[in-house]
Amino acid sequence: METESIPFAIKLLRKFCPSQLLEEIEGDLLQQFQRDIRLVDERKAKQRLLWNAIRYCRPGILLRNKIKSNINTVDMLTNYLKVALRVMGRSKSYSFINLFSLALGITSFALLFIWIQQELSYDQFHADKDRLFKVWNRDIANGKINCWDVTPRVLAPTLHEEFAGVETAVSYAAWGEQHLFVEGQKRILKTSGAYADSSFLTMFSFPLIKGDARTAFKDPKSIAITETFARELFGDEEAMGKSVTIGEGEASMPVTITAVLKDLPTNTEFKFEYILPYSLVEMVTGKKVRWGLNSVYTYVKLREGVNADEFNELVKGVVKKHYKDTKTREVFLFPLTKMRLYSRFENGVQSGGRIEIIRLLGILGLALLVIACINFINLSTARAQRRSKEVAIRKVTGAFRHSLIAQFLCESMLLAFGAGLLSLGAVYLALPYFSTLVNEKLVLNFYNINFWLGGVSLLLLVGLLAGSYPAFYTSAFQPVKILKGFFTASSKSVLRTALVVFQFGIAITLMVSVFVVQRQIMYIQNRDKGYDKENLIYQNFTGTLGKNFQSYKNELLQRGIATSVTKTSNPITERWSNTDGIMWRGKDAQDKTLFERFYADQHLATTAGLTILRGRDMDLEKYSTDSTAVLLNEAAAKAMGFSDPIGEKIQDNGVDWHVIGIVKDFIFTSPFHPVEPTILFGCNQSWAFSVAHIKLNGNRPIRENLQAMEALSKKYNPDFPFEYEFVDDAYARKFASVETTRTITLLASFLTILIAGLGLLGLSTFMIEVRVKEIGIRKVMGGSAISITQMLTWASVKPILIALAIFSPLSWYLTNWWLSTYPFHISVGLFTIPVAGLTVIIMAIVITGTQTVRAAQANPVESLRNE
Amino acid sequence: MGKEYLGEFEELILTLVAVLQEDAYGAAIAEELETRVKRDANLSAIHVTLYRLEDKGFIKSSFGGSTNERGGRRKRIYAITNAGMAMLKAMKESRMELWKLVPQLKIVG
Repeated sequence: METESIPFAIKLLRKFCPSQLLEEIEGDLLQQFQRDIRLVDERKAKQRLLWNAIRYCRPGILLRNKIKSNINTVDMLTNYLKVALRVMGRSKSYSFINLFSLALGITSFALLFIWIQQELSYDQFHADKDRLFKVWNRDIANGKINCWDVTPRVLAPTLHEEFAGVETAVSYAAWGEQHLFVEGQKRILKTSGAYADSSFLTMFSFPLIKGDARTAFKDPKSIAITETFARELFGDEEAMGKSVTIGEGEASMPVTITAVLKDLPTNTEFKFEYILPYSLVEMVTGKKVRWGLNSVYTYVKLREGVNADEFNELVKGVVKKHYKDTKTREVFLFPLTKMRLYSRFENGVQSGGRIEIIRLLGILGLALLVIACINFINLSTARAQRRSKEVAIRKVTGAFRHSLIAQFLCESMLLAFGAGLLSLGAVYLALPYFSTLVNEKLVLNFYNINFWLGGVSLLLLVGLLAGSYPAFYTSAFQPVKILKGFFTASSKSVLRTALVVFQFGIAITLMVSVFVVQRQIMYIQNRDKGYDKENLIYQNFTGTLGKNFQSYKNELLQRGIATSVTKTSNPITERWSNTDGIMWRGKDAQDKTLFERFYADQHLATTAGLTILRGRDMDLEKYSTDSTAVLLNEAAAKAMGFSDPIGEKIQDNGVDWHVIGIVKDFIFTSPFHPVEPTILFGCNQSWAFSVAHIKLNGNRPIRENLQAMEALSKKYNPDFPFEYEFVDDAYARKFASVETTRTITLLASFLTILIAGLGLLGLSTFMIEVRVKEIGIRKVMGGSAISITQMLTWASVKPILIALAIFSPLSWYLTNWWLSTYPFHISVGLFTIPVAGLTVIIMAIVITGTQTVRAAQANPVESLRNE
Repeated sequence: MGKEYLGEFEELILTLVAVLQEDAYGAAIAEELETRVKRDANLSAIHVTLYRLEDKGFIKSSFGGSTNERGGRRKRIYAITNAGMAMLKAMKESRMELWKLVPQLKIVG
């Protein structure tokens, strides 16, 4: 008998058949098998055996006996739920505090979690993401190593040619250049385009709806557009293969749509609505081969199996090899997947980045969740005495401790899932606002199984976190003591106090952060900008505006719309170009100071309200040589080491300029940074000009001025829409991210104080219940309402004071770190922490106030009448 | 008939358990079904029916001996209970009552 080798059919059967039936069924199957061997041949018998075994996979067998033993559990669970609901119904205010604070905690955690997930998913969707890199420059300037990711146009083709480890390399630039698209009657002005080498579409995984990624850019006169842009151009018609004209007049150029891209996902660093191939750009403007001109991003895809670190050793010398003017510049590859969160470099070494913020947010989310759970823990242990009789009776009638634990866990789970349901609604409603707040497109993915799995496991975790300690605590009561009446649950507990201290510690830390962030913002906003934003607007040169600038300007001035007009290379709120190649008399050969370039034809000081410290403003009417004049800002004059630079000659890229004055430092780039050395160049380089700064006449209403401007704009630039920007709006945008920080800290601290305050309210209400007789006796013995209020308030304030003492260093450290990320910053301040602490204490007193005052004023007869 | 109800196959199996007595177990019942009633029933169907009958209290079971043929696994021997016997009788009687009502002299053809 072949008992040793168990047939596959039997093994299969064992997978699903209840064990108590197994022996009988196996035996019967084998017996029939032996009989079959005798009746038919063995192969057929084996088939039959297998088929017979499979047929056991039916409910009559599968469900056997499993359910029978569960019936009791089901009954008990029903009973637990019933009791839990009754307990909740009996003390509605406590249940409300528990449910509401848990829901708040879960909601804020979920929102932060969705955000963090979005951040972590940036550019993780590319097929070969581990082989994709962005190329960075690294150079030494004035003793410090700088890293930056803007590279020469020739770098990508050079890398592709010279390094075997490179599979593809592309240049990519999306600097917001304007393109006018003409399609029939439609004229659409776009700045959301990108230039890229032809293999861009195959290198990154942006899905195409139409077209072939490999051949899309074979012909230079082609364009890839997103589906939204396609709809904008052609409506519901098929865009693929159609032709669209870019620009008009002499400079116009028809291009063919050779690929339609799906709209870009939100979690990518790339932002474009259309891509033009570099081959087209180079057909029009010629190849740029200068190694000194950093103007594009370079992306590299390494061949499979190429080690990035080893490749970096090979590749770093490529710039020195081709660019004779440098002995120190190197390039290195940085993983694309780390660009979003890890791309901060300090002195040439990767050190943190956005991930620090993300980690803080994660901690914040967890803290909010834990704070909410603490409320449940505190309130249930404090009120456990009320349940003690129930526990005792259950134990006396034979309940095991584990079933009591199960009961109390069941209650916390019920609460967690109730709160979870509320949060789901809250998250759904709040997400659009939250998305705008954090400036990310966040969505709830209802159809994703992970969303539900994650949600349910979160709720299980919350239920466990909140419920396990109370469950163990309450289930440990000894029935003998309780039923004999010896038992009193202590109203004081070290753990409870510790948890309250933790809650308010977090609240105080957040409050300190709110104060510090707010003060920092005010400090920066009040910083002297060095120019006058009032009534100052700028217009980009679209269409024929640049060509007609002179007559446009004259008419603006003559009609009293503007008091001063200047054409410049860029808006005064945006940096445009910089160089370390400025030459001046007595320059140290090692000096690599970076100078910002800003071109302005004349009268910029008048237009923008700059202060001239020495010399004079540019004025072409009076001094014809002013086309090659420059103004230095204070920082630039200092960097060059001139005490009186007027009349000095400087050289930029082989062009000579002469200094005619010094302007006071003005904030050109970031208000959070010291002012960079900046040079204002005259109108000699006519190609540079693309923006008009216009100082409106302040004596006339702005609306009137703008209407008049619009009419003029129609006259001088008929084909393009009238567009303008107020400089103070543009300046305010520089504060967007720090204002997000402010709103988040404000919201978080508000929520923490709300949740912790609710918990405190619950606890103090309970304390008053417990001490009601004591209060009554105190009053009978002559205690005043005020002294009793003081006593009760002190009980709630004490843990907050402890929290203040313990968490002050943490909040100081945290805010100090945050401030240190800004070169221009305030100090945390001596009074910030005490003031924040005081604010929290006052809030806590207000929240618990109604209860304490009512208790102190109650008539002692009420509490002492019954015994 | 009482509130309990037996299906045709259940009744058949119950009868066979009563017939086979000491030898009433899964494989034997299957064999008997095949040889006597000329019905080819899957073993799993028989087992499920046996368990259902046991749940209803019409049969009871105990482990019996094992044979080599069964790879050393014990048989589960089923025996009809009093309730099962009563059920069978009740069903047979009600069947007979009805049978009597069928006109017997009808000539087929």
